[in-house]
Amino acid sequence: MEGMILVKDGDIASGCNELFKGFLTSGRIEALLISRETPNGKMAFPALISDPEKLGSNILSPILPVSEASEISRMTINKGSDKPIGVVIRPCQVRALTEIVKLNQANLENIVVISMDCPGTMDVNTFSNMPEGKVPTDIIMDHLLNGTDIDQYLRSSCRTCKDPVPVNADITIGLFGVDLGSGFLVQAHTESGERLLEGVKLEAYKGEREKALAEVRGGKDAKREAFISSKKEIKGIEAIADFYDKCVNCHNCMNACPICYCKECIFNSSVFDSDANKYVHRAKNKGIMKMPDGALLFHITRMNHMILSCVECGLCEQACPSNIPLMDLLIPVAENAQKELDYYPGKDPDEKLPMVVFREDEYRSVGEK
Amino acid sequence: MGEFEPKIVGFLCNWCSYTGADLAGTSRIQYPPNIRVIRVMCSSSVDPIYVVRALMEGADGVLIGGCHPGDCHYINGNYKARRRVVLLKNILKTMGLEEERVWIRWVSASEGQKFADTVTEMVDTIKKLGPNPIPTRWDI
Ligand code: SF4
Ligand code: SF4
Ligand code: SF4
Ligand code: FES
Repeated sequence: MEGMILVKDGDIASGCNELFKGFLTSGRIEALLISRETPNGKMAFPALISDPEKLGSNILSPILPVSEASEISRMTINKGSDKPIGVVIRPCQVRALTEIVKLNQANLENIVVISMDCPGTMDVNTFSNMPEGKVPTDIIMDHLLNGTDIDQYLRSSCRTCKDPVPVNADITIGLFGVDLGSGFLVQAHTESGERLLEGVKLEAYKGEREKALAEVRGGKDAKREAFISSKKEIKGIEAIADFYDKCVNCHNCMNACPICYCKECIFNSSVFDSDANKYVHRAKNKGIMKMPDGALLFHITRMNHMILSCVECGLCEQACPSNIPLMDLLIPVAENAQKELDYYPGKDPDEKLPMVVFREDEYRSVGEK
Repeated sequence: MGEFEPKIVGFLCNWCSYTGADLAGTSRIQYPPNIRVIRVMCSSSVDPIYVVRALMEGADGVLIGGCHPGDCHYINGNYKARRRVVLLKNILKTMGLEEERVWIRWVSASEGQKFADTVTEMVDTIKKLGPNPIPTRWDI
């Protein structure tokens, strides 16, 4: 089921709000999780809204301060919802959600996933410190309508987005290949999506959706490839140590990551607890030892534990107080590792995670020469 | 300065490679003394963190020894260990951190000779590779 929802004066945000309001007032969903700008307009957070009058979200507002998938995990990890809840989340977050369901960290029972074509998001500080007269949503709209290059405003993960079009959502809000002056596209991909759209007035969509999607995806792929090859020099212990030089072991990157879910991360555990004698012993190894130690060990281990499910949302980088451009390494590492294990995170909900699959006849050259 | 003698850390499975190493010893099969052995209950219990930590703290190579395909005491631990090593080596490779220093090999409890040969081969290979540069940085 698909069709256009017409809006007045190209006001997509209000049109979406009306649609979501209908979902709530019809009683088909009990609540809606959706990004909502805070009263001063300089920030936005996912908000769980039950009162249709409290809606007022701006779907075009280009900001992703925290992982929406993590918030769905927070709500559903102990028990799924008894009544339908809608969640409006970005494509990378749908991918993350698909992965964390596989990791048993979220329960999709009665969750209707609504996602949108994503023009990209800005770093929290870029978003909230816009120069006088500049409005983030206008920048996005200008890009969507006129193709203006807005890369300077976007986070690196969004400039090189792995896929800005939702896959595995129940409903898609389509912005690409759509005449946004007249309205936006809505598509239901599943039964629960169709149920939610029942009775909504849809006009025929006339446009070349597939062609537009191929264009957007192709553009992002090319940028991602160029990004990866421009980072090739970050290789070898000298470059790698320099890269993580500013890391203060705060583990914010891990806390912000939708995939890193361990309640007790090994790095916060007592596994490497030691005593003064052992520290001195280790210092004697090299004659000098950095305190705290283990920043690089943390990063390489974290990659080993989660990189196959990394959806390249860039939330780790956004969370880093030292402004380390973490995606510079994470994207190439994710690309190569996911290729090697033949896995595309977030794509197929039924495909098993690579680390729980075992086959006798594979990677022979690694075990035996 | 004498010839470079690599330090190798071996994580050996209790049910196979560790016993194989023991057999090499009791059978007085000669192999280079460069390996420091840590006994583990299964090759799959070696989280990459321990391999990477060894490489950071001064090991020139890490050998994970497991049971032959089909023989793991816990049925499929060695297949999972193999996938983990594939991933670890891939990550190290992207970072330019000499994945050749990480080995996983199958050695059964009766293969004392194979254990000795594996260590010999590994020591020769790592000697050619030279000392591990990772520990030269103290600020990691
Ligand atoms: S990473 Fe992609 S899907 Fe996620 S916010 Fe950025 S552009 Fe959107
Ligand atoms: S590692 Fe970073 S980019 Fe990858 S899923 Fe986690 S937060 Fe997102
Ligand atoms: S957020 Fe930045 S400083 Fe903190 S642990 Fe991660 S990389 Fe290091
Ligand atoms: S018990 Fe030997 S590898 Fe699993």
